[in-house]
Amino acid sequence: MEKIEVRSRIKKVISKVLSVDEQAIAENANFVFDLGADSQQSLELVAAFQEEFNITMDEDKAFSAQTVSQAVDVISGYLN
Amino acid sequence: MVNQQMKEENLKKIFYPSSIAVVGANKIAGTVPHDILVNFVRSGFQGVVYPVNPKAKAIASMETYKYVLDIKNPVDLAVIVYPSSVVDLALEQCGQKGIKSVIIISAGFKEVGEVGLERERKLMEIAAKYNISFIGPNCLGVINTDPAVNLNASFARRMPEEGSIGFLSQSGALCTAVLDYAFPRHIGFSKFVSFGNKADLSELDLLQYLKNDEKTKVILLYLEEISDGRALMQISREIIFGTGKPILLLKSGRTAEGARAAASHTGSLAGSDKICDAALRQAGIIRCENIEEMFNKAIGFAYQPLPANKRIAIITNAGGPGVLATDSVIKQGLQMASFTDKTTAILAGALPKTANIKNPVDVIGDARAERYRVALSSTLEDHNVDGVLVILTPQSMTNIESIAHEVTLIAGKYDKPVYTSFMGEMDVAGGIDILQKNKIPHYRLPESMAEAFSATYRFRQEQALSGLEIPRFPDVNKGRAHSILDGAFKAGRQFITEDESVNVLEAFGLPVPDHGVASSREEAVTIAEKIGYPVVMKILSDDIIHKTDVKGVVLNLRDRNEVQAKYDEMLGRVKCLRPAARIKGVFISRMLEKGEELILGMKKDIAFGPVLMFGMGGIFVEIFEDVNFNVAPVNTNEVKRMITGIKSFPVLAGSRGREVSDIESLEQCIHRLSYLAMECPQIKELDINPLMIFGKGKGCFVADTKIMV
Repeated sequence: MEKIEVRSRIKKVISKVLSVDEQAIAENANFVFDLGADSQQSLELVAAFQEEFNITMDEDKAFSAQTVSQAVDVISGYLN
Repeated sequence: MVNQQMKEENLKKIFYPSSIAVVGANKIAGTVPHDILVNFVRSGFQGVVYPVNPKAKAIASMETYKYVLDIKNPVDLAVIVYPSSVVDLALEQCGQKGIKSVIIISAGFKEVGEVGLERERKLMEIAAKYNISFIGPNCLGVINTDPAVNLNASFARRMPEEGSIGFLSQSGALCTAVLDYAFPRHIGFSKFVSFGNKADLSELDLLQYLKNDEKTKVILLYLEEISDGRALMQISREIIFGTGKPILLLKSGRTAEGARAAASHTGSLAGSDKICDAALRQAGIIRCENIEEMFNKAIGFAYQPLPANKRIAIITNAGGPGVLATDSVIKQGLQMASFTDKTTAILAGALPKTANIKNPVDVIGDARAERYRVALSSTLEDHNVDGVLVILTPQSMTNIESIAHEVTLIAGKYDKPVYTSFMGEMDVAGGIDILQKNKIPHYRLPESMAEAFSATYRFRQEQALSGLEIPRFPDVNKGRAHSILDGAFKAGRQFITEDESVNVLEAFGLPVPDHGVASSREEAVTIAEKIGYPVVMKILSDDIIHKTDVKGVVLNLRDRNEVQAKYDEMLGRVKCLRPAARIKGVFISRMLEKGEELILGMKKDIAFGPVLMFGMGGIFVEIFEDVNFNVAPVNTNEVKRMITGIKSFPVLAGSRGREVSDIESLEQCIHRLSYLAMECPQIKELDINPLMIFGKGKGCFVADTKIMV
């Protein structure tokens, strides 16, 4: 899967889980600091990414991704 | 890097901010980021609060900002409550905003391991870049009860009462327990700080702040580790002896490590907690065993004047508790006062015939407030009384609340301390509450009352003994000692040989017997003849630390024949037992007469630096560990205490017909060793064992010594 598609689908997931406008999600936006994810929502985000891409992520790896671009890299790694 | 002046300004804004940003606040009640915001409102904070949250428009009806940078007005203090993973981003923005004072509540730093440690390092880098001072991370927060701010920047359940006790704690959880303990007892605080991981601001900075804080009269400190013991001693001395504010410390880890295996006696006896105990005592800090003891003592200091002396009057309505209190008064080193005739006459006139008008004054079980009033005011009037302990047990006719009011009223009229113990639980609760509200120290047991009183008396005594001089010795030859020690250090040796050790001690004026080093049998005889018989011979080798293990010590050689014979014998034995050892020669010194054996030593402690040890030698040190420690340098009073403080001191003082020892020369030895310890940082451990002390005027001499570098 191309990174551009991964990015687009990630933004959709974030928009849904964190209730933020998809257009307002910047590439380097931090889930907690910029998008306001609380600890529960951080868990929900990981679960939603796994469901969206049908992958199982290592917990440490999943939570190490704190921004959109980092999430793209981690998820692309699993897909490839 | 934040300089001292900036740090002080930053600390002032931590305690007295006009505006605060709660960075990472949220709407979820019951979470730290929410409750901490609400606490500002509940405590009646006198300034402005700006919640910062990336999504919320408002929290607790307060307009909310996405970033701290979005706040238009200046912000004095930021309280960061974000998860640890983004605290660095928040701190960076605080720096950009020009906020210099920060409290980081968030956990997930040094305490969780390497990842957290790295995060903490990053915070310190950002703080240094923007001249930020911060408390935390991983802490409960800060409370300032001063009505000028009413600041509760913490997630404690409630704001404590205003008071004069400053509380500093490394543990946040302990803080909440302390607040809960203090609240029903009406114990108030001036400043209340949980400083967590102390990545930036530490107890030293906070003590410095409290030193000058007019609202703080007493300082309580809970520590789990002491990282810079000498700095703690320094600032504590400035506070205790400079401003008269007592410091009470609770330090955990009393039994943690025990004495580590060490090459010297001093090393193995000097367990870290013993050193810590000695250092705290030297600095004037009162070390407590538990929270209850800490507060028992603290309220005495906070509520009442210090006693001028130790003469106590006890007033009781019950004989048994009066006797218990008397026992405790004596046990604590206080005295029972002898009343003047005037006091005795007043008591005889006002109390029933069955009452005891001597000390302890027993006003009898049916006493009501009037009898307590007469007894308390007349004893406080008495110039032979320095303080009064009031005991009450609840009988059917005891008007407890009235007595409590009476005690409060009278105590306030005199500049002498009044402590109380209303014994029991349920019936006395109302009276206790009156006492506590009116800042009359109250104790569940008379024993605790006497102990707390004694702490204030001893504190006053200590104040009188502070500032005594540390002798200097212009006659020492530092260069000679340094060249020996540096040589050994450069050569990678871990200890120096006996001749070198003796030379180092001699260079600092410690009394060593006449000595010389022989490299042949003939030379040994020449040296022995010059010194005079009897002599001692010891093997010298960089490879042999314990000479007796290789039979490398021969005592009491009385003539040239014995020296010649034993010289060959000793070398032969050593060569046989340690064939690879490189022999430097044989150390020959005068054989000392029999005196009292002492041990004197020094060890470099990680937290406190050079520490001195003194005790009786032989079985006293082997079995009873009868030794005292003091951090170098020591003043004249500390040296006297080191000597007189050992249990076996009567042996030196001439008990049971023994000759009185030359204490004056012993004091000189300890002072010179203290000077050596400060001037020779190359030394890790040093043992003089034994130091032989003789009768008054006959001095003391180093009989054997070992120095590790």
